[in-house]
Amino acid sequence: MRKIRIVLADDHKLMRSGLRVLLEQQQDFTVIGEASDGREAVALVNSQKPDVLVMDIGMPNLNGIEAAGQITEDHPEISIVMLSMHSDESYVLRALKAGAKGYLLKDSAETDLIRAVHSVAEGKSFFSPAVSKVLLDDYVRKLKRSGSEDPYDLLTPREREVLQLIVEGKSNKDVAQLLNLSVYTVETHRSNIMEKLNLHGVPELILYAVRKGIIS
Amino acid sequence: MPPEGSNHDSLANIQAGKVRRILFLAFGGLLALMVVAGLDALRSLRQLDGMERQVNQRYSAHNQALTTILISVHVYHDQMERYLIQGDASLSNAGAADVKNRGDEAEVAIEKFPADADAEERAMLAQIQQKILEQENSFALLVMAQAQGVPEERLQIVLEQMMLRRAYILQISRNIALWNERKLVEATESLAANFQGLQSRLAAMVGLSLLAGLLLSLIGGFYILRLEKQGRVRYQELVASRQQLEALSARLVDAQEEERRSISRELHDEVGQTLGALLVDIGQLSKLVPPEDTFLQSQISRIKSAGESAVKSIRDMALLLRPPMLDDLGLVPALEWQGREISRRGEMEVDVHSEHVSEQLADDIRVCIYRLVQEALNNAARHSGAKHAKVSIRQNADKIHVEVSDDGKGFETERVRGMGILGMEERVKRLGGTLLIHSTPATGTTIRAELPSRRVEAA
Repeated sequence: MRKIRIVLADDHKLMRSGLRVLLEQQQDFTVIGEASDGREAVALVNSQKPDVLVMDIGMPNLNGIEAAGQITEDHPEISIVMLSMHSDESYVLRALKAGAKGYLLKDSAETDLIRAVHSVAEGKSFFSPAVSKVLLDDYVRKLKRSGSEDPYDLLTPREREVLQLIVEGKSNKDVAQLLNLSVYTVETHRSNIMEKLNLHGVPELILYAVRKGIIS
Repeated sequence: MPPEGSNHDSLANIQAGKVRRILFLAFGGLLALMVVAGLDALRSLRQLDGMERQVNQRYSAHNQALTTILISVHVYHDQMERYLIQGDASLSNAGAADVKNRGDEAEVAIEKFPADADAEERAMLAQIQQKILEQENSFALLVMAQAQGVPEERLQIVLEQMMLRRAYILQISRNIALWNERKLVEATESLAANFQGLQSRLAAMVGLSLLAGLLLSLIGGFYILRLEKQGRVRYQELVASRQQLEALSARLVDAQEEERRSISRELHDEVGQTLGALLVDIGQLSKLVPPEDTFLQSQISRIKSAGESAVKSIRDMALLLRPPMLDDLGLVPALEWQGREISRRGEMEVDVHSEHVSEQLADDIRVCIYRLVQEALNNAARHSGAKHAKVSIRQNADKIHVEVSDDGKGFETERVRGMGILGMEERVKRLGGTLLIHSTPATGTTIRAELPSRRVEAA
């Protein structure tokens, strides 16, 4: 069986060793390297090409978000799980824009890290339940205040299906195959969804999906 | 150091008092000098005037008396000649008495000469008197001789003597007149000399006053110039100390911000991370303990929840001191977070709107705007009872405009200037910006700030 190769990046040694112990209890995980700041992480990923990078946001020299941006540019196939102390959407959105697939709160790392690594290794997104809850609460409050209806209700059942698959990490081609549609039709659905929800780009779409509880 | 300062002040006061007294004395002295000179001149003039009048009076009185004497002498001799030439015997007694009367009149006129006559005059008058007496004797002799029929030829000698005497009397009278005239000239000359003396005294006084005045105005001028210079120096010192104070307060603000940042980092990165690691380890531990051991499991879960609450309070403290988003993500995300945080607490709804805000803003500008908005929102949420607040921030070529408005009950901007608003003004002014606060009960509060959009210096 091929093991999932993991690199750990955190400036805090205690945290790193705790996470390492946690990850190595899994039979199918292997931690192939540790980095203590953003630059080290970039260098390590470039040389080791792991499957998954578990990285803290708050690190000296180069912070996690900027490091993730650089890594995604050169190696889009590497899945990144961001570790953070913050559940606020500003961090989540930045992390998503930088190419992270998973977003994990440090408080819940112990319970959710294994699931998160599995999810992103399969190409799916993963968010700490606490993060999803905060995002959802903010979203509902905003809707209630503006008095407008949830634009999700404007989506057709087919569009909701497409939305679900996109945010699960499927490409247009995959979606077309799964739903037995042409790639062109999927693209049309996709742009309609973006327009109806007033979103720009996949990261915002994913954030939206997390808020709606479409993915966790 | 207040004691030293007050010492310095009181010394300066004493000096100023001394100088003021000296100036007062000097000006008073000058004035007194001028008054004395004026009074002296007036007195001397009056004196000279009196003397002149006296001299003139004396001269005219003497002259008049002399004229009277001359006239009476002439009349006496005329009468005498007429009597002697007529030779009228019938009239002789009455005529002789008449001549005698004229002689007495002449003597009276001499006696009436003013009492202030000097020795020379007296001597000459006495001579005239003497001659008149002799004339009278001679006349008496003639009258007697005529009565006795003494021949004309023998009387001729007496007559000639009388004629000589008459000429002599007139000569003395002229001498007296000359003397009198000389006296007048002398007195006039002495008056002129007196007047000259007065003139030179006045000139000296005026010169002295002028000199003193010149000296005084020079001293006064120097003193004023010195005062002016001292004033300028004081003013410059004041400006310098004010600038120092401003620099100090700026440094204090910077130091406070730096302190907050480092404490926040310390809490967040060190304490928070250690607790996070602890939580991971506790999770591991709970997996190692069999689920049947409920006592140990409950102990572990209690430790875990204590750890979680510690993590939460550490994070809240760090966020309050300095939100890491300001450094991690930039100004706008930090402001958006701040707005959401207040909304989440249920205090009021906050909208954050931004346009073209650079992520490369200099740190002091970023911090200033963040603290400004934070203060404004906290004020609105705590004191104004606002339901909504709006934060808008937009950037153009060289300025950043920040506006925070709420729908609360407002406050009196002139009266209520708490530390918060003063702090805002201080921060904004220091960076070369302006702050405007508009607040009424009807419209709520709007705070507008304009700051230079300085970018972060290339390290």
